[in-house]
Amino acid sequence: MLAPVAVLIARGVTRADIGAALTSPFVRGAVQLSLVTSAVAVLAIVALGTPTAYLLARRRFPGRALVDAVIDLPIVLPPVVGGLALLLLLGRQGPVGGPLAGAGIDVAFTTAAVVLAQMFVAAPFYIRAARAGFESVDQRLEAVSSTLGARPWRTFRRITVPLALPSLAGGAVMAWARALGEFGATIMFAGNVAGRTQTMPLAILEAMEADANAAIAIAVVLAGIALAVLIAFRGLARAGSRAL
Amino acid sequence: MIQFDVTRTLGNFRLAPKLQVGPGITVLFGQSGAGKTLTLEAIAGLLTPDRGRIAIHDRAVFDAATGLNVPPYDRRLGYVVQSYALFPHLTVAENVAYGVFDLPRAERDQRVDGLLRTLGIQDLAGRRPARISGGQAQRTALARALVRRPQALLLDEPFAALDEGVALTLRRELRRLVRDLDLPVLMVTHDLTEASHIGDCIAVMDAGQVLQVGDRPDVLQRPRTARVARLLGIANVLEGKTFRSENGVVVNTPIGQLQTAQSDITEGPVRIAIRADQIILTRPDRQSDDRPNTLDVVITDEADFGHSRALYARLAAATGSSAPTLEIQIAPHPYQVMGVATRRRWRVHIPPAAVHVMRT
Repeated sequence: MLAPVAVLIARGVTRADIGAALTSPFVRGAVQLSLVTSAVAVLAIVALGTPTAYLLARRRFPGRALVDAVIDLPIVLPPVVGGLALLLLLGRQGPVGGPLAGAGIDVAFTTAAVVLAQMFVAAPFYIRAARAGFESVDQRLEAVSSTLGARPWRTFRRITVPLALPSLAGGAVMAWARALGEFGATIMFAGNVAGRTQTMPLAILEAMEADANAAIAIAVVLAGIALAVLIAFRGLARAGSRAL
Repeated sequence: MIQFDVTRTLGNFRLAPKLQVGPGITVLFGQSGAGKTLTLEAIAGLLTPDRGRIAIHDRAVFDAATGLNVPPYDRRLGYVVQSYALFPHLTVAENVAYGVFDLPRAERDQRVDGLLRTLGIQDLAGRRPARISGGQAQRTALARALVRRPQALLLDEPFAALDEGVALTLRRELRRLVRDLDLPVLMVTHDLTEASHIGDCIAVMDAGQVLQVGDRPDVLQRPRTARVARLLGIANVLEGKTFRSENGVVVNTPIGQLQTAQSDITEGPVRIAIRADQIILTRPDRQSDDRPNTLDVVITDEADFGHSRALYARLAAATGSSAPTLEIQIAPHPYQVMGVATRRRWRVHIPPAAVHVMRT
């Protein structure tokens, strides 16, 4: 598992022209787009996924088992299939995309589509981790908080979230890494347009046909981020076990 | 004053406690699984009853008839759960301050400092719960529960996780604190020794119901039923039948006729309870023993509990293995002086006041 990554990084750091490739407008555009879209995707995932994860961890409601299963779907579904499904739903001919297009809003093949594709594939990683984090919080602590005059929202903010924070942060980091590396769903649903939908993985594909150095430069950046994510994730896990 | 009379069905278990808790400490005593913790949870608003009513100082906080169900955060109760559940990410001072977030800063600090001082934990203010001892955690939990000036205090096995020495000190401090604050306290315990020593009242709970409640000495001396007597650890519970004679009320029991000091008794089948520590052991060679309830026995077995010894005796006249056994408690010193270990045949005297008659 180490060998291919080692060769990639060795190529990246030993060839001076790769450093130059990093500063080219083509590469910079892809890096910038990737950072912006993945950041927006992760913020949206945290905003929507946190309540979902909390409900799954703490409440029994009808359809809970179904929601639980559907959330895992993007993990097992090939990303290309996910991208096609998003296109069918939100494309101009789709049941949702059609009316939107009628209102002048195009989703498919835009930057918004990149964000949606990233959310689709990355959300499960956050929701899984957040749910496990909420489940690990001793419910007696929440009960005691309520007897101390705290309404549910205060208990959630002051007790539940701080105690689940290592899991929430770990899940967000994993989701971000997954969003950053997203390829299949993006190319199906958003296309590969430089400056609008061409994220780093898509740029690698295009660069391989023209400029291998640019491809390697982007790959090294992605590998470096992946490594940093791994270290951060392990650090968060340790911090979580140390805090308690 | 806490008043409650509620029911809640949980699977096969039916919780139906009914009780009035006045000022001072009321001990809710029962075996594990009796429903003691569930009762506290219902009072605190963490468990919703199916039926009934709960009131704190005449203010109803739950009433199934009107649909009233005040949430836990508005019940103004202090609740110390078993093993304390301190917030692990907050310091001792932050744990205590948690309940008074809505006060101005100066007043909050003053109140927290005062409680930390009262409970002798001011030096631990900056520590996390993982770095304090069990006794210190208990004090922190108590301070946290008191900081909102609750109208009543609920304590779930507050001393169970502590070393006996620490528990002893804290029990004394709790008694003093409760007296100073003039709070009704409902304290759950399954520990009979603890129930026998702390508290003004005892409520005996079994299978979801409060079987008997009253002043501590009264309940300990006069259990109403054989079940309560057994729960209170009264070793000798016998079947019998009462009748009146010229000596007052007499009970026919498997160990013979016993006089009782109780007079308000109708004739018929009863059960009697005799505490092991109220049976008096004497030497059998003493002649002319005309005290009532005097029996010649043979000691068949004994057990050493350190602070006391239990002797198991059957009637000297009895034969067969089904003969009833009496348990007699004796302190180590008289045990030595009398030379109990050196002989098997003894005489016991059961004072009529110790023969407690109950309904069957």
